Amino acid sequence: MVGLSETHQVEGATRAAAGPATARFQVRSADAGGEPALRFDGVVRRYGKHVALDHLDLDVAQGETVALLGPNGAGKSTTISLLLGLLRPHAGTVEVLGTSPREAVAQGRVGAMLQTGSGSGLPSGVRVASALQLVRRLYRNPAPFDLTVERAGIGALLGRPTQRLSGGQAQQVRFAVAIAGDPELVFLDEPTAAMDVESRRSFWRMMRQFGEEGRTIVFATHHLQEADQVADRVVVINRGRVVANGPGATLKAAVATRLVRFVAQHPDEQALDGLEGVTDVAVRGTGVTLNSLDADATIRALVHSHVAFSDLEVTGAGLEEAFVALTECDPAPRGGRAP
Amino acid sequence: MSGLLAFARFEVARLLRSWKFLAITVGFPVIFYMLFLHDQSPGKIVDGAVTWRVYLMVSMCCFGALVAALNAGGSRLSMERSSGWARQLRVTPIPAWSYVTTKVVASMVVVLPVLVLVELVGMGFGGVSLSVAKWFELTGLLWVSAIPFAILGIFVGFMVHAETAYPVVTGLMFVLGYFGGLFNPVSHMSPSLQTAARILPSFHQASLGLGLLDHQGFGIEDALVLVAYAALLGLAVIWKHRVEESRGLA
Repeated sequence: MVGLSETHQVEGATRAAAGPATARFQVRSADAGGEPALRFDGVVRRYGKHVALDHLDLDVAQGETVALLGPNGAGKSTTISLLLGLLRPHAGTVEVLGTSPREAVAQGRVGAMLQTGSGSGLPSGVRVASALQLVRRLYRNPAPFDLTVERAGIGALLGRPTQRLSGGQAQQVRFAVAIAGDPELVFLDEPTAAMDVESRRSFWRMMRQFGEEGRTIVFATHHLQEADQVADRVVVINRGRVVANGPGATLKAAVATRLVRFVAQHPDEQALDGLEGVTDVAVRGTGVTLNSLDADATIRALVHSHVAFSDLEVTGAGLEEAFVALTECDPAPRGGRAP
Repeated sequence: MSGLLAFARFEVARLLRSWKFLAITVGFPVIFYMLFLHDQSPGKIVDGAVTWRVYLMVSMCCFGALVAALNAGGSRLSMERSSGWARQLRVTPIPAWSYVTTKVVASMVVVLPVLVLVELVGMGFGGVSLSVAKWFELTGLLWVSAIPFAILGIFVGFMVHAETAYPVVTGLMFVLGYFGGLFNPVSHMSPSLQTAARILPSFHQASLGLGLLDHQGFGIEDALVLVAYAALLGLAVIWKHRVEESRGLA
């Protein structure tokens, strides 16, 4: 992650929070050298008329842990389905570990934990141990059974029939299933959906350990905190596009901006951009909107700048609200089930 | 290849460990044989040149194969598909076609012991006596001719929702069993029902087995009908699989 691209990301995310998000982000995170673990290039995927992914670009470097963050229906699951070869793109290319998603899956280099709706995602009528043993045997070079059990922390569940697991326990077993083949790359689609706070915490601890062994992990979530705490980088997706992309801290700073609005005659954009804390300036006639990382400092600087302003207003927000702003800034519905 | 073998063994073991599955598949044909054997005099000639005890044994073999195959697929498969397990397998290294194929193979594997069991009851309880060669020929013929039913079970599991699969399977068991002439020889039915029976694969499977025993020889027509059923149902399953693949549901 180089400094320059971070600046772009921050600026982009801020702009997205401020107004109509039309800007597209194509920040490539993978540094030169080393093949990316996955690459999305202008990927379009539709369901009928509904556009689920709208020219999505995304790179993930090997060894990275990346969160796909977005509200329900943003395109996170579609992204993961495409990465696993369960879906094919209507346009653009998807590359996984230097090959096609299907080939990467066939080579046993990829593991996944998918969303299962109300089902357990496990075969019924067997014990956890035998389901896990089966999955191991489907891979050419699986991890040792005991190691997988330890990594997923399911030692106590091995003798349980799969239909007698709680939602959270089934998720843990499905994590074991996802890593049984000792994959280089793991996709997790809302892995903690059915877990309570305690199991959530221990799940992420185990997953982080797994990631520290040099594996690439991509997970989808709509919990901002989860994304922030666990991932090296957070990719915010909304309406099928990447609307922000950066390390958790950077992103947090970006979405935690405040909007400083006022009215001024003949505003000087360049001068305003130079005020302390300002990351973006938008001028519409006499209306000025500044994005600021530090509203107090910006207003102090504004007062000292001798700009004649009126109707001063500071809005914006905590993390959650900023995230909502980031993902809901495009009010135009894009077909689908919208009434 | 070893992965596929492990998967097939896993599937068979799961079926044989299901108490409900075994009770239905083994219970129905064996109990029906015992119940109906003395409905008529067992030695009475029915349906051409075979006795009632032989007719009923072959019919119950076919019925057992039908029940086993439909229940091995059917609602079990339908539920499994909606639970997300089928999709999970899709992201393991085994090829896409292997899921369907393994299901058909597993159904066929559990059909065989059902056939043998009904034959043993026919031999012991019903007093059916055949030469060793005939026993083997009959078993092999009825087993191979159960392939369309194995595919039919998979077809139901693919086409029908989990909640409706059970009544659909029960309905198919009744229609194919009763109208296919497995409980009452087709020659005893009204002309219109006789015509209807000839459309059903269950009639042709039984007819193939009975033909072997009453020295009419191998029923080419029966075999062709069964092959046609297997091919049509197989194509339907492949079609459905393709459609789901393109939508990402598989």
